[in-house]
This record gives sequence, structure tokens and C-alpha cells, in this order.
Amino acid sequence: MELRKTLTGYFQFRRMISPRMISSPHKLLDKTLWIFPLASFFVVWETVVQLGILSANVTPPPSKVVIVLFHCVRDFTFLSRVLHSFINLTTGIFIALFIAAPLAICTGLKNRVDLTLTPTVMLCGSLPDLALLPLFVYWFGAGSVAAILMAAICAFFPIYFTIREGVKEIPADYFHVSMVFKANKFDILRKIVLPATFPNAVTGLRLAFDFVWEVVLAIEIIARVAGIGWLINFSVESGSIELAFASIMAIGVMALTIDRLVFGTLEERIRRWV
Amino acid sequence: MGRQMELLNVTKVYPSQSAETHALKDITFNIHEGEFLCIVGPTGCGKSTLLKIIAGLDQPTSGLIKFQGEAVTEPHPKISMVFQSFALFPWRTVLQNIEFGLEVQQVPKKERKEIAMEFVEMVNLKGYENCYPKHLSGGMKQRVGIARALATDPEIILMDEAFSAIDEFTAQTLRREVTEIWAETKKTFVLVTHNLEEAIELADRILVLTSVPGRVKSLVSVTLKRPRRRGTSNFLKFHRQIFRLLREELEHSIGHHHLGFHHPTLLHHGQHSHYFSL
Repeated sequence: MELRKTLTGYFQFRRMISPRMISSPHKLLDKTLWIFPLASFFVVWETVVQLGILSANVTPPPSKVVIVLFHCVRDFTFLSRVLHSFINLTTGIFIALFIAAPLAICTGLKNRVDLTLTPTVMLCGSLPDLALLPLFVYWFGAGSVAAILMAAICAFFPIYFTIREGVKEIPADYFHVSMVFKANKFDILRKIVLPATFPNAVTGLRLAFDFVWEVVLAIEIIARVAGIGWLINFSVESGSIELAFASIMAIGVMALTIDRLVFGTLEERIRRWV
Repeated sequence: MGRQMELLNVTKVYPSQSAETHALKDITFNIHEGEFLCIVGPTGCGKSTLLKIIAGLDQPTSGLIKFQGEAVTEPHPKISMVFQSFALFPWRTVLQNIEFGLEVQQVPKKERKEIAMEFVEMVNLKGYENCYPKHLSGGMKQRVGIARALATDPEIILMDEAFSAIDEFTAQTLRREVTEIWAETKKTFVLVTHNLEEAIELADRILVLTSVPGRVKSLVSVTLKRPRRRGTSNFLKFHRQIFRLLREELEHSIGHHHLGFHHPTLLHHGQHSHYFSL
């Protein structure tokens, strides 16, 4: 009798809580499920190459790529190339953020400013970004300056539009509250506009980050600007295809790590209150 | 009871494409110190606009508002407000939300925390002070809104449909608690509502506005003893009296706008029909 009561209670409890929580007895399994498709991909890849279905000249076996990668990680020049690309990319994104964020807050708050500026911003945003590359290389040479400026331009638009949207979506009552309590302009900016648009800013930066990685690589490959993209190009041309694969894998791992570490943490923070 | 606030010929005109629309016309009345005043009127009569003007959030096109003898043209530190949408900042905890007014008025951190805790207890939210608003029910959110409005020690608390976004059962409890807070703090409360029974339950006086443009139709003193119970014969007498006033306005506006449909409350006036919005 007592046992039945306990069991009924348990099942009622399980029905009450969300489906995600129901699977809690298999939490460890749930958290490791993602490994299986990834592992099978590598197993299939390895087998296909080892059996000779695909020539090792076309694709090296993943085991070899991993060995090259580990070898590279210990190599200072490899790391410095990765770092070079990464610094170009982050500098570009920060430049974009420092210009786009104040501008987006202005246009988001003041309809007149928005009507004046945003059409021009949209027009510039619809230009194909990479088309500017030859000009930049012509003006600044095939170096970091051109790469950083390209990155900044490409990062500008996702950051600008997400923040502007966030500012526009702030409920009017939030401003009424601040006016009732006689908050000054600076407090309204710091205590309402900035925290209210923070989630949008994170989304914008994340979009920019994903997009700009590709742009920076493209610049390095096309204009032969120093960096990891240049290394991929160089490895393929000089016949060491494993190194190209290792570089691509390094970029993947790095992008994923930053995404989890930086944006994952930020989103975790936001999720506490959103 | 002194005249704490005076409104003189307050008129609000909105410019529109075809002609100018009068939202409020020649509103003149006083708010007494320490009273509970409710403002009722047909939907769209401008009662929320009137409250915004009293709060200093909106300017009248013409007319004058005086608070303690001084003209109000911008929000006054002694006038606070509670919103229908709660308007809590989701990135702030309960305590931080209540602290907001004190914070922007530069009250030192330790002091404002103590004051905020006092009001957490007053609105029965003890134990929830570190929760974020997303974890609170509608009723609890409005408790935070009320605590935030009280924390800066205002003399007038304006409530814009403060109980309308809360389920009826919770709203009943909250109304009772607000009555207690009002009696305890002796502050002036002004509530805009479209819920007639709510107004009769809470108000010392009810200001009835006409349909567009909003004018003062009547000022009814509710002489019922507290605590008030809905459904008693005296309660219903007031209900009938004010409902009649409002029905005239609704009929007027329907005739005026040729809406050509019947609203159930116009035909069958029973004690359960406490909504009269169109």
C-alpha cells in the first residue's frame, strides 16, 4: 500500500516535470549522444581511405590528419598563423562593434535619425563585401590592415541590425518607469537600453563571428594575406594535403571552442533572466 | 483632506490626418490627500491618457495640473506609478527592481537595499527577493511593481489598470492587500480601471468619464463601509448607479459611431456583467 502510494506519487511527479527532465536517469547518456554520429563519420572516412576506395592523395585518413594536427600544435609557426588570423578577426569585430553599437542605439531610439541613416546603411550592407577586397588590397597592400578592415565591414551589418532591432523592441513602459523615477539620460542608457539590448548584441556578435571567420579565410586565400587561410592554400599547392586538412580541423576546433566558451557563457548568463 | 492635486480644464488633442481628435476635453477635478480615487469610463475615452498627464509623462494641449499648488509639466518625484504591463526589468531581480527608483535617485547602496527589503515584506514577497521576474506569476509581478512604486516614498501612487492583466482570483487577493497598504500608508491612490466592481470595491470616489472626447460625467462618492463585499445590496446600488451613467455613454457612442451591434451588457444588466468595454 505504502509502496503503491510512493509509486503513484513518483509517476505524478514525472508527469508534472518537463520532458527534458524526465530523461534525467540517463543524463550521462544524453550528454554523450552527440559523439556517435561524429565517431561513425570518422570511422567510415578512415575505412574508406584504408580500403583504398578513396586514394590517400585525394583525402588523407583522419588518423594521419590528427597526427599532423598534433605535430602542428607543437609548432610555433603554425600557432602564430592561427593566432594571426584570430587577431585580425577579433580586431575587425571590435572595431565594428564600437562603431555599430552607438549608431544602432541612436537609430533605434530616435525615429528621425533612423529614417535618415538606415537607408544608407542598408544600401552599403547590400553591396557584396568581397567585391571591395581588390580595392582594399590596392589601397593598403595585402596585409593585416586590409584583412582587419574587411572583417570590420563584414561584421558591421549583423551587429548594427541586431542591436537596432533590440533597441526598437524595448517596451515603451520601460522608459515610462525611468521617467516616473526621474532617471537621467545616462542612467536610461546604462540601466535600461544597454541591458535590454544585451541579448541582441550577443546574437549579433555571434552572427558576425561566424560570418567574419569565412571572410578572413577568403581574404587570406584570395589576397594571400598571412594567416591560416594562406597556409591552407599553400599546403594544397605544395602537395601536403594532410596539412591543409589539419589546418581546416584546427579552425573548426578553435571556432567551436570560442563559440562555446565565449558565446555559450554569455548566453547562459542571459538565460537566467530571459 | 486638502486638495493635493488640481486639474483645471485639461484638454488633450491628437492631430490626425483628417481632423484633430479630442481625446480629453475640459477635465476639471481635484484629488484629495489620502483618498482612493478610481477613474472609469468607456474604452478609448482617454482615461489612461489622463493618468499619463497626471504622471507628467504626457502634456495636455491646454489646461493646468497642479500638485501641491505647483504646476506639473514633468514627472514629480512624489508621484509614482504602477503599470498594467508590470514593466519590470527582466534582467533585474525582485529586489533590484524595487530598488530601481532609489538607485536613480542616488540613494546609497546599503540604505536602498534595506528600504527595498522592507517593501518586499510589505507586499508579501519574502523569499523571492533574488528571483528574476520570469519566475514569478502575474500577481507576484504586480506586487513587485507596487513595491517599486512605494519604495521612493511618493505621496500619490497612480495605477494604470493595475489588476487587469492578472487572473481574477489573484487580483482579488491583491486588491485586498492594496486596500490594506493604502490604509496603512495613508498615501493617495489613483486607479484607472474598466472594471466597475473593482472601482466600487476600492474607491472613496469614482470619477466617471464620458466617451470620446473624455469629459467628466460624474464624480460619485462611494460611502460604503470597508471591508466591502461584492453582491451586498448597497454594493449593487452603487453598481447600478454608475452602470447607468456608463450605459448612457455607451449608447451615445454606439449611436454616434453607428457601430450597429449589441453589446450583451447593454441589454442584460446583471451583477455578473462587470465589464463594459466595447
